[in-house]
Amino acid sequence: MLFVRIFIFFFLSSSVFAQTGDFFGKVKLSNNEPAMDVFVIVKGDHFYKEVITDFNGEFYIKSIPFNTYKIQFHSLNTIKKEITVTLNTKKKEINTSLELTKNQLDEVKITSKTAETKKETEGFAVNIIKTKEASIRNVQTNELLNSTVGVKLRQNGGLGSNVEYSLNGLSGRSISIFIDGIPISVYGSSFSLNSIPPSMIENIEVYKGVVPGHLADDALGGAINIVMKKGVKTNLNASVSYGSFNTFQASTNGLYRYKNSGFTIKASGFYNYSDNDYKISGKTIVDKGLGGVQTLITARRFNDAYRSTGGMLQFGYTDVKWADQFLVGITGSDDYKEVQHGAFVNTTPYKGRFLESDALLTNLTYLKKDFLVKGLDINVNGLYGKRNRVVNDTTAIAYSWTGERAIDYKGDEFEYIWGSQSENGPTLLNIDRKVASIRSGISYNFNKQHKLLLNHIYSGVDREDTDEMVSLLENTFQQTSDLYKNIFSLSYELNAFNNKLKANIFGKHYRQKVLNTSPEWNESETEVIEAIYESNKNYNGYGLATSYAILPNLTVLASTEKAVRLPSETEVFGDLGDNTIANLTIKPEISHNYNLGVRFGRFNFKKHGLVISTNLFSRNIKDLIGFDIDGWENDELVQYANFDKKSTSKGLEAQIDYTYNNNLGFNFNFSKLSLETKNTAGITVDVPNTPLFTLNTSLRYSIKNILQKNSRLNLFYNAYFTDEFSYIVPQGTNTVGQEKFLIPQQFIQDFGCSYTFPKKKFVLSFDVKNIFDESAYDNLSVQKPGRAFYIKLNYSINKF
Amino acid sequence: MKQTILNYKALAFVLAFGLLNACSDDVNDDTIDPETPVEDSRWITIAGAKMGDEPGDGNGGTLIYAVTSEDAKDPTISINPFENGFVAPSNRTARLQASEDGSTIFNISYAGDTGGIYTKYTVEGGQTFTQTGTEVSISEYVGTAPRWIKLFDGDQTGSAVYVSTEHQIDDNDTPDDATDDTYLRTSATIGIVTLDLVNSSIKNFQSYEVPLSDEEEANGYYISRIDMPTLNAAGDKLYIGARLSKVDPATVESDSDYEILGSKTIVVDYPSLLNATVITSSVGHGNTNGYRSINAFEYNGSVYQANQSDPEGSYILKIDADNQYDDSYDFNLDDALGVTGAYILAWRPAANGKGVLAYRHDGSQEGLAGRGESFFALVDLNAKTATKIEEIPYDVDMEMFQYQGFAVDGNEIYFTAASVGQNGNIYVIDTETGVVTKGAELENAEGSHFIGAW
Repeated sequence: MLFVRIFIFFFLSSSVFAQTGDFFGKVKLSNNEPAMDVFVIVKGDHFYKEVITDFNGEFYIKSIPFNTYKIQFHSLNTIKKEITVTLNTKKKEINTSLELTKNQLDEVKITSKTAETKKETEGFAVNIIKTKEASIRNVQTNELLNSTVGVKLRQNGGLGSNVEYSLNGLSGRSISIFIDGIPISVYGSSFSLNSIPPSMIENIEVYKGVVPGHLADDALGGAINIVMKKGVKTNLNASVSYGSFNTFQASTNGLYRYKNSGFTIKASGFYNYSDNDYKISGKTIVDKGLGGVQTLITARRFNDAYRSTGGMLQFGYTDVKWADQFLVGITGSDDYKEVQHGAFVNTTPYKGRFLESDALLTNLTYLKKDFLVKGLDINVNGLYGKRNRVVNDTTAIAYSWTGERAIDYKGDEFEYIWGSQSENGPTLLNIDRKVASIRSGISYNFNKQHKLLLNHIYSGVDREDTDEMVSLLENTFQQTSDLYKNIFSLSYELNAFNNKLKANIFGKHYRQKVLNTSPEWNESETEVIEAIYESNKNYNGYGLATSYAILPNLTVLASTEKAVRLPSETEVFGDLGDNTIANLTIKPEISHNYNLGVRFGRFNFKKHGLVISTNLFSRNIKDLIGFDIDGWENDELVQYANFDKKSTSKGLEAQIDYTYNNNLGFNFNFSKLSLETKNTAGITVDVPNTPLFTLNTSLRYSIKNILQKNSRLNLFYNAYFTDEFSYIVPQGTNTVGQEKFLIPQQFIQDFGCSYTFPKKKFVLSFDVKNIFDESAYDNLSVQKPGRAFYIKLNYSINKF
Repeated sequence: MKQTILNYKALAFVLAFGLLNACSDDVNDDTIDPETPVEDSRWITIAGAKMGDEPGDGNGGTLIYAVTSEDAKDPTISINPFENGFVAPSNRTARLQASEDGSTIFNISYAGDTGGIYTKYTVEGGQTFTQTGTEVSISEYVGTAPRWIKLFDGDQTGSAVYVSTEHQIDDNDTPDDATDDTYLRTSATIGIVTLDLVNSSIKNFQSYEVPLSDEEEANGYYISRIDMPTLNAAGDKLYIGARLSKVDPATVESDSDYEILGSKTIVVDYPSLLNATVITSSVGHGNTNGYRSINAFEYNGSVYQANQSDPEGSYILKIDADNQYDDSYDFNLDDALGVTGAYILAWRPAANGKGVLAYRHDGSQEGLAGRGESFFALVDLNAKTATKIEEIPYDVDMEMFQYQGFAVDGNEIYFTAASVGQNGNIYVIDTETGVVTKGAELENAEGSHFIGAW
């Protein structure tokens, strides 16, 4: 149908009339956002033509005979508008503004969608995750990410437990996570995707493989950037939620702006708590009796509680002459996490091992558009403070999965001979870090077509470790490593052929300095002196992202980057505690990343809206860093080195978004990939323990005026599918016994509903996670929570 | 040719089937070779360690496959555990043990979720290993990556050991000032567990500190790893192999270049597992904890123990019935083989005191996996001789890393020899005559290796 329409459009465009002119102009929304995807219909005597506005709300209609026309503007989200215009010049400009339909929730949704679509068509392989809907539901930030195409999270248990993020198959140190462009490592684990509620987040940008210059870090496989709330309108939001496993969560955020002076106060806070005492069972969930005889049981996790508290307070000026935003403030956070087991679930659960972390940081934000001259924008975002982490494992008392003390083969209660819950021995390790990070950017718009951006990120970590379970003498001789990174990037953005072609070319320059302080005795052994070793390394990377709109609804996107991962301090200097020695000549890992995508849409037909996007990707890492040989157990010391090894991730992902009449939404996405390593002997092996095929789908349906007038009920359904994968490399075609290494196929379904009360100040949400109580695993043997219920009450007020 | 192999396979299958049904009447007598009576046959279980991400690392799973001893000796038979085997439950290379008659395989998972869990299987031929008895875990006593072996007491007992160490410092009553702190010693607390292999239950567990001499401790020496518990001939003592490490007493940092002390063994009472003493050899100077395969064997009233990382090349040391090293027994592999830096990777004597030994030495070329070409030798504990077995087609990529299994059937010893990623064969040596028989072909998988026959 649509193609017919396009065809007609072209056909009509090529018709020649005696005296013709052009209509062009820009359509805005009442909130000043450009109105994209608006149907512009020009009707006259024997004349009919329609076009759709582009991402900037602009439209252009050529070769129209001089006459008087009625022009209609309508879209799914605005009130229809009709104006009458007489065309009597070669070019006639029509600028208009449309009223949004009166629904507050959708209003926000639509505006953010505009920005989202803009980002998603710049050429990068990027997904913008909206948090608006999630923030009123019982949805964690991590769950939002996990339902995004190409993103896979692997969590070692319930709320607050360790998570590994994977983008298109690459994970771990290959992926960088930022908060407002500042590496999240600066904030520490207490202020993380585990603890920050979606209501504090404006949106989340997921860049796959190719990371724009303004977000520079040494990430090989992509970046996740959490954009915190940026608005400058006075508002207040608060929510409380309670649910299964004694999970209680509260969050609040608000902003107050004095209209006259522009003085602004912003505050937000969160509190999360869960016992995580969900039920698990399996071959290692046993109670042991005399002689070690085992009985399989279903157990509740009993040492898995999580608590996190945090907040941010900022004040300054917004929307004043000298600054769009100038804010200073503090960020504080604190968390506590009990650890139930190690990387695997064994027959010996932990009780008494826990982690604590806290951070206190001062922050500064300065944003100004048209600084000094028009088109010159600057932004500065800085953090300075300290963060601490404690690993506490000092009790040797053995517990059974029943939660009671365990008995040994004779029937006596006992303690582990290694003196702690983990087999690695007792620890009370304090890791204190002083952290600083500052990110600054300057950009200049020469005109609508050309823009130049210069960015710089500095981050420094000054780390000190002390283990209270280890003597001071040993602590004294523990080496310390400080790491300083400076990353410069220069980007050029091109916008040509009426917005059809967009390109972003960037270069990144990485400078890394590692300082290693190794204490030694002076010659007479009376004093400890510090031997300092220093390593300075510089590397360059570059990339290109481009998009071309072949048709208004058909955009091709391609991007590539030579990405760099700098060697870590341990890889450069080794760690005698781990029996690794220094390798001062180690090189970074380099990856050549490619994305090629097509975006169809948005197609609007009557009340239907459809967007389909696909992306083909490839990541090619070389000079992989690893150990010489993982071989001889009796070898005393090993060294990190670059190997002639390559890792390749290739795959396809696709997403379909469908909306109907603004009250039905359907999203479906899938990701399929292969991850291989070519080892030093030139043999290609499939990398095991990698989820290769995932599907996610979500359905939203909204009903107005249920129970009360002007109320709204939203119903949600989400499903997550992950195909079976093996912890070990694929076995032969006829082998048996490999099933015990399989992470089984999973199909988890969630249901939720939210009810917006008539005045829209209160929203009540109810969610059921894992409705059918399926056994869920992200990692071998580590079971995740079963069916769970949550209820949440939100209060928000936007007008004082 | 293909047809022939298939026929032999079919024969093997029927033969195996026949064994299982030895008492039943429906055995087709026509298919049993009358010259090899079924009663003399036993199972030979072959294990392969699949490549994880680098050739020869063995981290991709341990696969086992059983054939009859006749088939094991038959070079026209071809065996492919990597395609047709049973994947043993162990995250890293499993440490397997077999009953003396080869009919049962014992396994304790090494690392991972099932780490420390004991399972046993009845060998039924091919990939069929039927789990019998209940599971029991020793992880609470010796951790999830236990160092265990089966004792030679008629397949009754397995034993696993563990050591944890702690550096002890005198802070001179000034806990905040490190400059007057002095290193005292490093304590080594050992744990020993014995496991009833028949009834799948824990028999005994003891844990205590094992000190070295005051002088050794003052210099920073300590027992950092123990392994390979072995029963003496009287069955009243257990010998446990040990590795020593050393710290610099001034900084408590690991030392790497230091004087290697005489080889040490911890001797404890059996079955009480108490009263530990440490005995020291004046002949050998390396570690006695071995690697994956059993490192010490009882023969003719004494226990013969290999050492590793000896500056003079590996020795086979002798511990007499008085539970002391016999320092008059000097069996140095460098001397016996005429090489330097001999390193015993795995070995096993038959009941006649003659056995097979896998070794590499300083002159070994580095192969695909970078661990040095390995060789086999026939050793004689009485004559103190070692002769390289020349019948095996050595190759730079043939390395016996993680090698652990020699199946002993009378005077005959079965073992596997294959280069990493290449096909190889089972070999059978008659230790009395030295005659080597090339047995069944072993089909390999890319980057993988064979780790023994049981």
